[in-house]
Amino acid sequence: MLELQNIQVRYGYMVALKDVSLKVGTNTVTALLGANGAGKSTTLRTISGLNRAYRGKIELDTGEKKEIQNIEPSKIVNMGIVLTPEGRQIFPELTVHENLLAGAYTVKSKSQVKQSTEEVFSLFPVLNERRKQLGGTLSGGEQQMLAIGRSLMASPNLLMLDEPSLGLAPKIVEQIFDILIKLKSQGKTIFLVEQNANLALHICDYAYILEVGNVTLEGDGQTLLRNESVQKKYLGG
Amino acid sequence: MILQQVILGLRDGSLFALVAIGLVILFKTTGLLNFAYGSMGMFAAYIVFTFVVFVSTPLWLAVIIGMAFAVALGLTAERFLLRPIRHLSRSALLIITLGMLMILEGLALQIWKQDYRQLPPLVTGRPMIIRFSDIFLVIPQQDILIFWITGFTVLGIFLYLKYTKMGLAIRATAQKEEAARLMGIRVNTVYAFSWGLAAGLSALAAVLAAPRTQIHPSMMIDLQIHGLIAAVLGGFESIPGAIVGGLLLGIIEQLVGSYISVELKLTFALVVVIIVLLIKPAGILGKTSRRRV
Repeated sequence: MLELQNIQVRYGYMVALKDVSLKVGTNTVTALLGANGAGKSTTLRTISGLNRAYRGKIELDTGEKKEIQNIEPSKIVNMGIVLTPEGRQIFPELTVHENLLAGAYTVKSKSQVKQSTEEVFSLFPVLNERRKQLGGTLSGGEQQMLAIGRSLMASPNLLMLDEPSLGLAPKIVEQIFDILIKLKSQGKTIFLVEQNANLALHICDYAYILEVGNVTLEGDGQTLLRNESVQKKYLGG
Repeated sequence: MILQQVILGLRDGSLFALVAIGLVILFKTTGLLNFAYGSMGMFAAYIVFTFVVFVSTPLWLAVIIGMAFAVALGLTAERFLLRPIRHLSRSALLIITLGMLMILEGLALQIWKQDYRQLPPLVTGRPMIIRFSDIFLVIPQQDILIFWITGFTVLGIFLYLKYTKMGLAIRATAQKEEAARLMGIRVNTVYAFSWGLAAGLSALAAVLAAPRTQIHPSMMIDLQIHGLIAAVLGGFESIPGAIVGGLLLGIIEQLVGSYISVELKLTFALVVVIIVLLIKPAGILGKTSRRRV
């Protein structure tokens, strides 16, 4: 579905990603793990077009191959790549329903929007209960559900999630991951960035480990779970 | 007596509110205070004047032409002046709008010379007369029209922002720009729309004010200052706040003018604003600092 080749990203003189190459396969969950500041968010932001790639290319394959590096975010969304950003970034003064409608901004057909809304509501019933409430009044977990639901409104081919478990109580994290498993079983392609390596490795098909701007390790989830250095660094020994 | 002053205050205030709304919408979406806001309206007023006097266009048509011109001016400014340098600091953009103000004033002076120009009121007819026991209050039709137009404009903007897709995009961008971009919203379009809308509102305010202020290159300066104060008073990020701020400012000025001193009415009005802000730093309807980053 998506392939990054030798991507380098800089913030001014600081190199955030040195040389990142990875692949996200169709209908799979791919995880990108690493410590704080390793460049995980930068990778997603670069795919989304929020950051510029200084070098390298990003290839999207949906039947035909296209190079999509350094294209503005609205076009990336139109190609079916949607990012649920770190920190959720929901619109605090729009209602839950309006937040979802904003997520469907690129969708032309009204019946399609209606259908997606119902799908999101059946996935997250709590959002339906709170549909008239302002986004800013939701709890952290509900905001994360709203953020994911909002991304799903565009019916993305590739859903990218940046730290969906960040700052949430363990119970809520479990709920969020249950949803991800459900999405996976529906055949959605997901690119997941996580600090919670244990959970991410359990649900993903394939994972990459990012260390200070480089991919240092990759493999399928089960293999990495058994890997010694992964256990020591990311799974608490 | 007080009631009379309040009515006169509302008359001025609705014009302040109209100006404030444009400033607030632009600030909310683009995070920018536009110094050239009034000048765009001033230029449009000259256009209206030119069409009425030299082309003998009917006034209503000339007003539409003038507003269309202002919208085009706003869109052009956004596209060719502001957009290419949007990555620069906020203060750099501010200076650009100050430069625009000077250019527009200079151009107006070159084209239409220094004379004060007249624009007839949009409506004439018997003024409304209100009687308080032995005092008569005469309100020209134009002032009543200003009141209506402000009301309908506000209603129109409210409905547009609430119920259209573009309106949703504007609100989303104003709240969280980056998240809006991730929804596929084109921020450029939203910015351009706000600039066009603000310029159109400024033109409307200028045309409505013109019979009283006459048309000259700095005709809108006073109104822009009042609009700015009104916006600050209302919290600067809130359209209802801008309306309340505008009306309140109009009333305060009238009261100060009639009970204290006409010369000092702006001064005292500003003192009142400072007091209000000391009590409620975020403005009357503002929310405590949620800064755009």
